[in-house]
Amino acid sequence: MAGSGGPWGGGGNSGGGRGGDGGDDRQNGGGRRPPNRGGQQGPNIPEIDDLVKKGQDQLRVLMGGRGGGNRPNGAGGGGGFEFNRTTFGIIVAVAIAAWLYQSLYTVRPEERSVELFLGEFSSVGQPGLNFAPWPVVTAEVLPVTTERTVDIGVNRGNRAEEGLMLTGDENVVDIDFQVVWNITDPAQFLFNLRDPEATIRAVAESAMREIVARSQLAPILNRDRGIIAEELNDLIQSTLDSYDSGVAVLRVNFDRADPPQQVIDAFRDVQAAEQQRDRLQSEADAYANRVLAGARGEAAQLLEEAEGYRARVVNEAEGEASRFTAVLTEYALAPEVTRKRLYLETMEQVLGDVDKIIVDSGVGGEGGGGQGIVPYLPLNELRGGRSTQGGTN
Amino acid sequence: MARSLYLLPAAAVILILIFSSIFVVDERQKALVLQFGRVINVKEEPGLAFKLPFFQNVVFYDDRILSRDVEPLEVTPSDDRRLVVDAFARYRITDVERFRQAVGTGGELAADQRVDRILRAELREVLGSVSSNDILSEDRAALMLRIANGARSEATALGLQIIDVRLKRTDLPPQNLDATFARMRAEREREAADEVARGEEAAQRIRAQADRTVVELTSDATREAEIVRGEADAQRNGIFAQAFQADPEFFEFYRSLTAYQRALRGDNSTLVLSPDSEFFDYLKTDQLAPQQ
Repeated sequence: MAGSGGPWGGGGNSGGGRGGDGGDDRQNGGGRRPPNRGGQQGPNIPEIDDLVKKGQDQLRVLMGGRGGGNRPNGAGGGGGFEFNRTTFGIIVAVAIAAWLYQSLYTVRPEERSVELFLGEFSSVGQPGLNFAPWPVVTAEVLPVTTERTVDIGVNRGNRAEEGLMLTGDENVVDIDFQVVWNITDPAQFLFNLRDPEATIRAVAESAMREIVARSQLAPILNRDRGIIAEELNDLIQSTLDSYDSGVAVLRVNFDRADPPQQVIDAFRDVQAAEQQRDRLQSEADAYANRVLAGARGEAAQLLEEAEGYRARVVNEAEGEASRFTAVLTEYALAPEVTRKRLYLETMEQVLGDVDKIIVDSGVGGEGGGGQGIVPYLPLNELRGGRSTQGGTN
Repeated sequence: MARSLYLLPAAAVILILIFSSIFVVDERQKALVLQFGRVINVKEEPGLAFKLPFFQNVVFYDDRILSRDVEPLEVTPSDDRRLVVDAFARYRITDVERFRQAVGTGGELAADQRVDRILRAELREVLGSVSSNDILSEDRAALMLRIANGARSEATALGLQIIDVRLKRTDLPPQNLDATFARMRAEREREAADEVARGEEAAQRIRAQADRTVVELTSDATREAEIVRGEADAQRNGIFAQAFQADPEFFEFYRSLTAYQRALRGDNSTLVLSPDSEFFDYLKTDQLAPQQ
């Protein structure tokens, strides 16, 4: 008997589930329900028979003795009355348990439930144990505060080329992004959009393409990313709001905005070229710094040398002048002697040092002086001999 | 026993009658009560509703916003370039009776096809009337509105309300994509070459400026140095002039001696002398007798 209660509960369950699916099934389910029950009851007909009979009996009891007259008709089942009563109690208990099981449901902290009273929205169930008396009230539980994501981009979405977008200046950019959303209004979410996830995906892609289509390539790739993410967030949110979708876009994660694979090398080359440009300039700067420093050093050196020259020349001049003045003073005291002495001392020093050839004026010359032989002197040899001598010394 | 056998079918019949005469309209649905195909009643509000069993049947339609994605199609904007465009529409069945009359028993599948046809026509018409630059610009939102408005009037006749039409892709056809990539590459290469050239230009300029500054600095210094040297020479001349002015004749003598001393040095001179010179006055004789 308890075993037969199982299929009953199960039948109720599947009926409730079908009711929850909504759509056309509901009507069909409703239409099918009585024959279904009949079908299930088929093998158990005696049981139902008992049940009905028992009901009649109770009715009779309630109605008093008037029913007593008919009692002989039900005498065949009278023997099992006690047994049937227990069975009835068990069946009722099982039915109530099944009904309670069907009607009570839990809502977890991140969830909310939407309760429908005969298909009409009645209330939003808060977390905890909730009661929705089956079959009049049905409940659907939705994860509300849970963050959900939609990824859009190359090899992330449905189509291979999904992330390739055409910019306003007719370039192609490869964009990956993620929309993070949750549900703000479970009733709106449930009742207004048939396919919320696909809608969010389509709206997000459309919004991104709209923004990209009115931007230039270069700003998308670098400096405008924050602005675009913000604009995208607003556009998706306002579009979804126009559907009363009950969805809140929490944020847009702008993962990637790159040139497409086919041309990315060329973009890298540009970066390399930018670096090369910097390098060339730096090298030139380094050269300039080196050369200028050298020039400043050289200029300083020239000036210092000139100053040195000035000092040397002036000092020497002063020295020489004062030496002359000193000698002149002495000379004034004894002019003749001093003059002679100076002459002789000088000649002594000069002639003592110098190679000399003394030629007497009488030798081979007609006139005065020694010029007669001078043309015949082997001057080069004399000089050469001296220089070789100097070399060996 | 026999009586309960009669009771059971009777109860079943009653149940069947009850269940076939009530129906529940969900919050997400609208229902149409048909009697042999004729529309008897429209049930738009959710809740419990009644109908005649057997003679009447109920058709449910979705009351939520439905979507239709249009397959990509090539449009030719007014400047004869081609773009691959796809769009999606959000729509809702507002007038179930008219919808039923328009699409018959086709239901939502038929609705999808109708919306699709309307959208394709509108897309071609609207996008064909503007240039591709307008599509790829700020005007895009306005174009989407135009498409939606155009589709709206046609859809109303079907009992449908177009809520929104949005363009998704507006891309170049695949065969143009390669050309675009090639152009993008060429642009980047040009930019790269430009960068390098600018770098070289800047480098050359910096070097040239540096070289010029070097020449300026050193020549400036040379000038300063020459001035200093000139001043030094002038000072020297002044000093000498002042000192030698005292006795020009002696200066001549003295300076000559100094010059001999410096000029005639052992390693660079050979003198050929006559013993007649004053230096040799005493070389041959002491000259005492003739002089005294």
